[in-house]
Amino acid sequence: MSGEPIIRLRGLAKSYYRESLEIPVLQGIDLEIPAGGYYALMGPSGSGKTTLLNLIAGIDRPTGGELEVCGHTLNGLDDDELAAWRSTYVGFIFQNYNLVPVLTAFENVELPLLLTPMSRRARREKVEEALAHVGLTEWMEHYPRQLSGGQEQRVAVARAIVGDPELLVADEPTGALDHKNAEEIMALMEGLNRDLGKTIVMVTHDPKAAHHARHQIHLEKGVLDRTIEVNR
Amino acid sequence: MALLYLILAPYLAWLVWAAFRYPVPLSYNWRSLWQRKVSTLSTAGAISVVVAIFVVVLSLDQGLSRAFVSSGRSDQAIVLRPNSRVELSSTLDRDQLRILKTSPLLASDAGGPLISSECVVVRSLEKADGDGSANVTVRGLEPAGIRMRSQVRLLEGRWLTPGLNEMVVPRRMQGRFMGLGLGQKQDFGGRSWQVVGVFDGGGSAFDSEIWVDVVALMQAYRRTMFSSALVRLGSEKQVGGFAQMVDQDKRLKLEVRSEPDYYADQTKAGQPIRILGNLITVILTVGAIFAAMNTMYATVASRTQEIGTLRALGFRQHEIMASFQWEATMLCSLGGVLGVLLSLGFNGIQTGATNFQTFSDVSFAFLITPGLMFKGLAFSLFMGLAGGGLPAYRASRIPLTEAMKGG
Ligand SMILES: Nc1ncnc2c1ncn2[C@@H]1O[C@H](COP(=O)(O)OP(=O)(O)O)[C@@H](O)[C@H]1O
Ligand SMILES: [Mg+2]
Repeated sequence: MSGEPIIRLRGLAKSYYRESLEIPVLQGIDLEIPAGGYYALMGPSGSGKTTLLNLIAGIDRPTGGELEVCGHTLNGLDDDELAAWRSTYVGFIFQNYNLVPVLTAFENVELPLLLTPMSRRARREKVEEALAHVGLTEWMEHYPRQLSGGQEQRVAVARAIVGDPELLVADEPTGALDHKNAEEIMALMEGLNRDLGKTIVMVTHDPKAAHHARHQIHLEKGVLDRTIEVNR
Repeated sequence: MALLYLILAPYLAWLVWAAFRYPVPLSYNWRSLWQRKVSTLSTAGAISVVVAIFVVVLSLDQGLSRAFVSSGRSDQAIVLRPNSRVELSSTLDRDQLRILKTSPLLASDAGGPLISSECVVVRSLEKADGDGSANVTVRGLEPAGIRMRSQVRLLEGRWLTPGLNEMVVPRRMQGRFMGLGLGQKQDFGGRSWQVVGVFDGGGSAFDSEIWVDVVALMQAYRRTMFSSALVRLGSEKQVGGFAQMVDQDKRLKLEVRSEPDYYADQTKAGQPIRILGNLITVILTVGAIFAAMNTMYATVASRTQEIGTLRALGFRQHEIMASFQWEATMLCSLGGVLGVLLSLGFNGIQTGATNFQTFSDVSFAFLITPGLMFKGLAFSLFMGLAGGGLPAYRASRIPLTEAMKGG
């Protein structure tokens, strides 16, 4: 299952600056994640989990170190190149689902495909396939406000996989869900990893959720504490 | 104004191109506008009022200009005392007129040579709406004077009988003043004058004049001097020759002005209204642009996470910028459409304005032409571009990490 590293971080550092005062958040992270891995990123609140995930997903830039994800050195890409890279290689799952409220489930899932040269018909096929995968074929024409939280997150999962990216990143994907819905989303993500071979990096502080991953990475005050293999 | 649009043209071209080529669908913006119904409608409402005022002011300007421009024929000239800009302040005596009437350059028709000695007085009339009175031009003219105004058509009754105390009035003035119905009488110059005919001045300045027989008018007012003479020459080219002839005749000491020139000069009469109208429009426009800007800033702020998410999914900065610029443009165009509809309510309304050169009333109708409607829409587009630019720019600069911020 684990192949070549898809994520390679070397001495990765991120600091924020507040009035010329440096606030280090990540300090020299070295990490390799193999293709097809399922990693849970854990640690206390404020330890830098989201920051690390943002760097891996190419929506933030490091202040030091090197970052190679899905075969590209992200440090060297400009904003537009990085945007194109994200739309090709990364699927996002957010804590608050982040669906566009004025778009239907179908249209929300279609969004990433609008960035590809795909024809309307090809897009429709892909979107229907993705929605079928998360079991929401019947809810295609519904708006987010007409869906339950669990359904919204499933639409978000469909949006994340519709473009067939290699890497899925998720920040507290079950943070806003009740136990039952959280379990469903976890099962869904496990399937994406097992059956579709997606590499997943998931931030969570829920031990139950983390248990679904194959590895747990612990972050403590901006440095990697330990990596544990999950026994199932 | 045209320059402004010229400067904005490349931006507009980019925006149109973006609508077709960029991946963010316009329906997303349209629906987002309706997501915030109250703020969208109140902003569009404010913009619609400004657009309506803009269109009505333009139409007023056009109405005034048309009143004067359509009054002149290029083969006709007005003879005045030198340096009198308007007929009201000009005088001509009988001897001068006798000499003019013998000019071989005059055109003639079946009724004789086409020259009309005329006398202009100003008379106050009660307004029909009870709102006091207004000054109205009363023109005494000869039968030839009526024939020479070819844009004037008789609608009812008959033309004047020379020597009698009769008057003909424009249809357009009838609704605006009391006592101008066919058969009704008005007292002025110590006599009673009866309305015997109603005419249509075709939007010209004559739509604001009451016509009477020149001899009867001068008798009533005990005047010995005419105000002016209207002459028609054989052709447009002969106007210059006629002017030269008058200039060289030592007995005359008069000035000849071609009729179109004379009336073009009078369009300056609308100047104070135009300046006031423009001033009000500019002030309101600035207000409307800020209203649109404010609404768009609020929209962008409330959709920070949504925009961050779009960026995370791979939408680029200029695509977000175009998208929000479109949203602002839609918002303002919605106001534009409403404003044009609002201004249509003024279409055809008869009204008057004061000619600030003669201090008499000019009657005209508001005409909301397709051209004006187009200008109103273009104007709302301009407000969308001006008011939406900065908020759209801010939207495009929202950090992507906003997408990840937990609620
Ligand atoms: N934009 C920012 N500016 C300044 N400090 C920030 C910013 N974003 C995050 N931080 C700080 O970085 C630290 C790590 O944040 P984050 O990665 O969100 O932690 P976690 O996700 O583990 O809770 C926190 O102390 C937070 O206050
Ligand atoms: Mg976090």
